[in-house]
Amino acid sequence: MDLKSIITIWKKELRDTLRDRRTVFSMILIPMLLMPVMIIGMFKFIQSQSAKQSQQTLKVAIAGADYAPQLADAVRGQKNFEITQVDTDPKQAVADEKIDAAIIIPEDFQAKIENEEPVQLNFISKSTNLKTSNAYLAILSTVSDFNKKLLQERFTDQHINPSVLSNVTLAQEDAATSKETGGFVLGFLIPLFIVMWAIVGGQYTAIDVSAGEKERKTLEALLLTPVKRVDIVLGKFLAVSTVAVVSIITAISSLYFSFVYAGKMGVPIEANMNTGASMPVAAGLGALNFSVEPQAVLILFVISLFLVLMFSAIILSISIFAKSFKEAQSYISPAYIIVILPVVLVNAVPGFQPTLMYFAVPAVNAILLFKELLMGTYDWAHILLTLISLAIYSAAAIFIASKIYSRESVLFND
Amino acid sequence: MEKILKVQNLVKEYGSSFRAVDGVSFEVAEGEIFGLLGPNGAGKTTIIRTISTILSFTSGKIEVLGLDNREHAEEVRKNIGILTTDIGAYERFSGRENLLYFGELYGVEKGMLEKRIEELAELLDMKDFIDKRTGKYSTGMKQRLAIARSVIHDPRVIIFDEPTSGLDVLASQTVRNFMKRAKDSGKAVIFSTHQMYDAEKLCDRVIIIHKGKTVAYDSVENLKRETGARDLEDAFLKLVSDN
Repeated sequence: MDLKSIITIWKKELRDTLRDRRTVFSMILIPMLLMPVMIIGMFKFIQSQSAKQSQQTLKVAIAGADYAPQLADAVRGQKNFEITQVDTDPKQAVADEKIDAAIIIPEDFQAKIENEEPVQLNFISKSTNLKTSNAYLAILSTVSDFNKKLLQERFTDQHINPSVLSNVTLAQEDAATSKETGGFVLGFLIPLFIVMWAIVGGQYTAIDVSAGEKERKTLEALLLTPVKRVDIVLGKFLAVSTVAVVSIITAISSLYFSFVYAGKMGVPIEANMNTGASMPVAAGLGALNFSVEPQAVLILFVISLFLVLMFSAIILSISIFAKSFKEAQSYISPAYIIVILPVVLVNAVPGFQPTLMYFAVPAVNAILLFKELLMGTYDWAHILLTLISLAIYSAAAIFIASKIYSRESVLFND
Repeated sequence: MEKILKVQNLVKEYGSSFRAVDGVSFEVAEGEIFGLLGPNGAGKTTIIRTISTILSFTSGKIEVLGLDNREHAEEVRKNIGILTTDIGAYERFSGRENLLYFGELYGVEKGMLEKRIEELAELLDMKDFIDKRTGKYSTGMKQRLAIARSVIHDPRVIIFDEPTSGLDVLASQTVRNFMKRAKDSGKAVIFSTHQMYDAEKLCDRVIIIHKGKTVAYDSVENLKRETGARDLEDAFLKLVSDN
């Protein structure tokens, strides 16, 4: 191995990359600008949609209002309901989207109440009309209040204290610290982006230094120099890895600071995150803590580095088979999907509890480990298995790349 | 004159059915221009690539300056300069930067490298454009840069594969003069071409290859005399049609 030649090739490929505006734009500027726009834009959108939805007026018809005047009055009192009269069958009116929802009160409502028999109301809506999900909840709340009031009256008539209805109450308390919940939030996006940028970050450079050399007809001149093939591969590989690492650092720093500073830009992430059942509820709704411990950052960086080394070698190996830049891109796209699909699945499945063997699967192990580290969990079995397996895969990928670069049929497939 | 390139019974097979080069032998001395001639697809480029070590060969022996090119591949490449038909350059770099890069890879020391680039720029009439990005070069400029790149390390053996291809008259003359100068300075020059006019003017001896086999191997004058041809092109056509 001739270190001088490796460094010469490394420096030349990096300089060439920096002079290529497309690479600088897509690998550095885009992640730097895209992340804040995406994060802040996404949460602003959620915020504005929630506000819009809460102000939306729903057209609701009450069929049989005369059978339960008190209940009908309670429904009329709902905010954002515009009570509408319909001449046709209310169900048909909902189906035809003349109204958003209808409540049908049966004729025997009062009789059943007086006989202390159960009575059913029908709430008609269209599942394809997403506005009506809030309407259903509002009506349910109204019916629940009506039921409660009715029971209180009946208990009072029976000389029973109505408070027996609420003997047992449930208060929710979150044991997770704000740091853990902050880590949980970061764990949704940062691991996925690290894996994506480990592939995408160096992709353009990898194609340019391999298939691009063939297309430009400079490969033969390079092979004619006294530099060993393995040194040529190493020099190019280091250049690809350097660009990928810079790309990851840029993207993740940008993403991280978007989370940290989003609140200052009028986008309170914690308020936006407390909307879904799968999201943690930070006790007291204090600001989420997005700080990451230095040792976690170090492990994250080392794992990311191994990911970059592995993917850089793989993309280099695939690209050299192509005769042109375009052809190389067509080879890499399916490979990209094969890698990303399990990663996205693992990231998206709620409550996924991986066994130890998942920490030996490349890319998947990185995602799982990143999530743990961001929440402050240090499972050394997981950390060591991930590090060792990725180191082995990286070394194997580099070895295979150097072998491929020695094959005449690949280099001269013109 | 010392023979510094020796090719003995060179065979290159692809798979089990196709022999691109079939038992070719020749030697080239210092201070001569040796023609490697033949029609397209004869096997000339394959021979050049095997000499340069970037292609392996099935059997035979190749020695450059006494070094077996299978056992001393890197050392052989240090002493050979090859102008291939691929004259591509790194387009976001200037001509000078391209030459600096290859000079470093050939192990030329920095001070000597800069001096060498100036010499070549003068010899090949490149001073006007050597500091411009090669993405803006014409074919003639790229060809001259490729020649400079192939000899940046001042090798003792120089192989030119179709060096005047795509060049205008003036540029072609520059290349021919360069080859003559290389010969006069004691280099072993191999000139691979299908342009018989150029070969006749420049070559001392030639080998004619057809379908991977040697058809003729002699001086230009002897070949013309033996075939009764007016010129090398005629001699070539007669020899190739006989085979």
